[in-house]
Formats: sequence, C-alpha cells, structure tokens
Amino acid sequence: MGSNTQKQHHHILSTKVALMIGGTLLVLTAVTVGVAHIDLGHFNFFIAMAVATCKALLVALFFMNLIHDRPENGMIFATSFLFLAIFVILTSTDLFFRGDVYVKGPLMAAVQTQSKWAKPWISTPELVAHGKELYSVQCVACHGVEGKGNGPAASALTPRPRNFTATEGWKKGRKPTMVFQVLRDGLPPSAMASYATLPPDDRWALTHFVLSLAPQPEVDTPADFVKGNINTNPVGGGEKIARTISIGQAMAQMAIPRSPSDENAHLDHPKFDRISEAVQASNPGARLYEEHCVRCHGAKGEGGIKVHALGVYPVAYVTTSAFKSSSENLKSIQAFIHFVTLGLPGELMPGYGQLSASEWKDLYQFIQNR
Amino acid sequence: MSIEETTVHHHAHHFASADDEFEAAKQGMWIFLVTEVLMFGGLFVAYAIFRGLYPEMFHAAHQHLAVNMGATNTVVLITSSLTMALAVSSTQKGKRDHAIIYLVLTLLAACCFLVIKYFEYTHKFHDGLLPGGLFTNTELKDPKSPLFFSLYFMMTGLHGIHVLIGMGVITWILRRTVRHEFSPGYYTPVELVGFYWHFVDLVWIYLFPLLYLVG
Repeated sequence: MGSNTQKQHHHILSTKVALMIGGTLLVLTAVTVGVAHIDLGHFNFFIAMAVATCKALLVALFFMNLIHDRPENGMIFATSFLFLAIFVILTSTDLFFRGDVYVKGPLMAAVQTQSKWAKPWISTPELVAHGKELYSVQCVACHGVEGKGNGPAASALTPRPRNFTATEGWKKGRKPTMVFQVLRDGLPPSAMASYATLPPDDRWALTHFVLSLAPQPEVDTPADFVKGNINTNPVGGGEKIARTISIGQAMAQMAIPRSPSDENAHLDHPKFDRISEAVQASNPGARLYEEHCVRCHGAKGEGGIKVHALGVYPVAYVTTSAFKSSSENLKSIQAFIHFVTLGLPGELMPGYGQLSASEWKDLYQFIQNR
Repeated sequence: MSIEETTVHHHAHHFASADDEFEAAKQGMWIFLVTEVLMFGGLFVAYAIFRGLYPEMFHAAHQHLAVNMGATNTVVLITSSLTMALAVSSTQKGKRDHAIIYLVLTLLAACCFLVIKYFEYTHKFHDGLLPGGLFTNTELKDPKSPLFFSLYFMMTGLHGIHVLIGMGVITWILRRTVRHEFSPGYYTPVELVGFYWHFVDLVWIYLFPLLYLVG
C-alpha cells in the first residue's frame, strides 16, 4: 500500500483485553459505591480518589493505548496533572494556612505539637520528671526551687505565689484538671499568667510535678474534665487543638511588649472598649463580636485602633478602619460572609471561616446595628 | 472488503510519510487533551477550596443528589468507553461492520447518559436546587448551599457539553466509516475521536465520587 498507509505494527487493543478492562472498571465502580456506604471518616475520600485514579489509569493506559504509545505522549498528558496538582496545592496552601503565616514562634509550636503521651492527664514518673525540668525554667522565679512559693520574685507579688507543698489554699483545687486550667487560663487578676503558649504535654507535666510536691493529691472524675472544658482526645494532649489560633489569642499575644527597649512599646497595648457582659448575654452577635472582632475594631467599630503585625521587625502598625454602613461588604449577609471568610490577604484582617450559619447571621445583625 | 471499496487517504505533502502524519495528529490530540485537563482543573480547584472551607455544607447538600442515577451513568459511560475502544480496534483490524455496530452502541450509551442527566436536572430544578441566586430550596439551611449546586451544574454541565460534542464527532466518524473512508491503513480520526470520548469518561470517573459520594 506504499507510503500512503500507516505501518501495520501499530498496537491494536485485543477484544479480550478490552473486555477485561471494561469489566474491571465496572467492578471498581461497584467498589466505590459500596465503600461510600461504610463510614470511614476521612478515609472515604482517599479511597474514593484512589479507586478513581486506578480507573483513570486503566482508561488512559489501555483504552487510550498510552501503554504502547510513544513515551513523550504519556509525559505530555502526565504533565497536565502535575500542573493541576501545583494549582490545587498552592491555592489550598494559601487559603487554608494563610492565618498561620501571621503567627510565628512558640505560639504556633504550642498549637501544633501533638501529645507524646497517650493520656497525659494521668500522672506517670516520666511526666513528673519532665515537669521538674520545665519547672526549673518556667516557675522557679516565683514559686521557688522547693515549690514553697518563695522564689526570688515572690516578695514583689500580692497575692503571694502558691505554696505547692501545702495541701490548703489552692484557688481552683488540687485535682490535675484544675491545675491544668490554671496553667491554661492563668489566674487573673493575680500575677499568675496563662501558660497556654506551652504545649499541652508540658502543661500536664508541670501539673503532675507541682501536685507531687504535697501529699495526697486529689483524683479527677470524668465530670471534672467536662467542667474544665478539657477534651480527652489523646491527639490533643487533653486540649482541643485549633488549626489556627483564635484572633483573640493572637491579639492578646500582640499586646505583650516585645522588649523594654522598644520605644513604641506603649503602643503595643491596644486600647479598646469592651462590650458589657450584660449585652453579651442578651445578644449572641455581641458575644461573637467581643470574641473575634473587638480587639481590633473596638466596641463601636469605630476603627483607628493600632495593632502591629506579628513577627515583623521593625514593628509595623496597621490602623483598622471604621465600619461604614455604606460599605459593599455590609450590604448583604452573603457579601459580609464572603469578605470576612477571605479576609484581606496581605493585610492584618485574617480570613475567618469557622462560624456556623446561625452565628454568621447573629454577627452580621450585630454589626449592622452598630 | 476489498481495497477498491476504500477511499484511499493521501497524507499531506508536508509529512514524510503517513506514519509521521498519524503520530503528529496523535500528539496534537494529546496536547489538546492537556488543555482540557486544565480547563476542568479550574473547576476541580474551586471544588477543593470550597469543600475544604465548608465540609458540612457539602455533606448536607450532596445528599440531595441521586446516587443511583449517578452510578448508573458511570456504568453507562464506562460501557460506552469500552464500545468506543472496540470500535477503534475493529477499524484497525478492517472489520468495518463491527466498527459501525460499536459506534452506534457508543452513541446510544451517550444518549442514555444524557437522558438520565435530563431527569436529574429536572428534579433539581423542581426542588429549587439551583446555582447562586436562583437557589430557592428551603430544606438546606446553610446559606452557602447554593455554592455546591453552582459547582454541580458547572462541572456536570461542562461535562455534558463534552458528551454532546463527543456525540457529534462520533456521528461524523460513523458517517465516514459507512462511506468506507477508513481502513487498517488509515484510521487517524477514529482513534483520535476515541481519545476524546475516553477523556469524557475519565472526567466523569472523578466527578462521580466527588459530587455524589461526599464522605
């Protein structure tokens, strides 16, 4: 047939192989549908995608004959998936982890650290030993080497630091969950600060160490965990781990002066009004606003409050702007949710998408009425 | 089938041989499919982002899709892919009659797919499960629910358009097969239309679990 015809050795798919591949694809479809009926949590998604990829490979390799095609054609096609992967991964990284970028250092280490102990809320000799090491760094200045509340800094403090060797006088109680709460939340207005920046494991270790200093420590009941809002999911080390820290926590961190030599240190304390507890109790939107927005935007949404960008030196200040009722972002609840969910990339307004439908509505109504 | 019955295909003068022409056409098809992957890719990224942001909404909304119909359509499309592959190999072997039967079966399966899709869409319209501002359903409480249906209609709609285009080009090669235009010596259009049809199947293979089987 001369030069007008194609070579005869081009691979032809045999009917038998075609039927086998077709059959396998149908079986895999049945597998996908079957597995979807079993609840395996996140694994459902990965199994479904793995099965789909197997099917796609079978179609591409045999029906589209890539297995016998010239290798460059396979590479061309595979490249498109490589670029698709880059597209998905970079976009997701930006959107889902943008909040993390603003918060660096020990604070992020704290929320990301996973528990080394299965049940760190139960005392073990290892935890006590670890707590002892931490104690000598974190606590000794106020509570003293022997835990008697007589450290070098103690004399300047009122009330005096806790004496761990005594069985009386513990403000919250002597159960592990109670001490853990004190380390987590601090004891305002006393000088006992929150140590939430330490990983949960370390706080449990400190708890068990200080409790070991006095005889007859008390034992937790399941109700104590609920009361202390402590999640006994082992992954969290006895504490819910947020993917990003709350804005309130980040703002609190910002309020800590970086160093006495920073001449603008006084600006690091954002001055803002709070929303009264009575208003918060009667209006769920006000409670959400107090929790997430007030530290930057002020109680009246008046703006003009300076907050500095975390982890930036020299310190950069961002001035919040006032809420304007004419703003496009407040025109409808959809526009509002859209704006707040995405935030302002590159500025201090973080994307914030973790509210429920009813919470969005409450917050939107509250802000509209400002 | 004798050689006289077949319209002899002459390769274009800028190719050294029919083989070169075939390989060039095939490579062109692969590059075209790359652009197709990236076109659907934008929608898959949108899906990934919004599912990541609103997993509960996706889970609630996907329960309004008919898994049975989606699964049936998967079976229909896979079968059509099989008949398409067999149509290509029959053409390559010179079995014109078989090729015609397989091409007709492929077309019938494509029609079947669209009919099922029509019933699915009608049901969604009736329930007010529509994209964006057209959404009127009251059962789904999450204000973001219309987003899921925007994605559903965009993704399955773009795929549906591909099915229609596929039916068009399959009809075209069916007509040319009937007219004895293909032989074991020349089958480039059949093979390349086959690629296109398999790609349509490939997209659906991912759409089905992503839309109908949200975990």
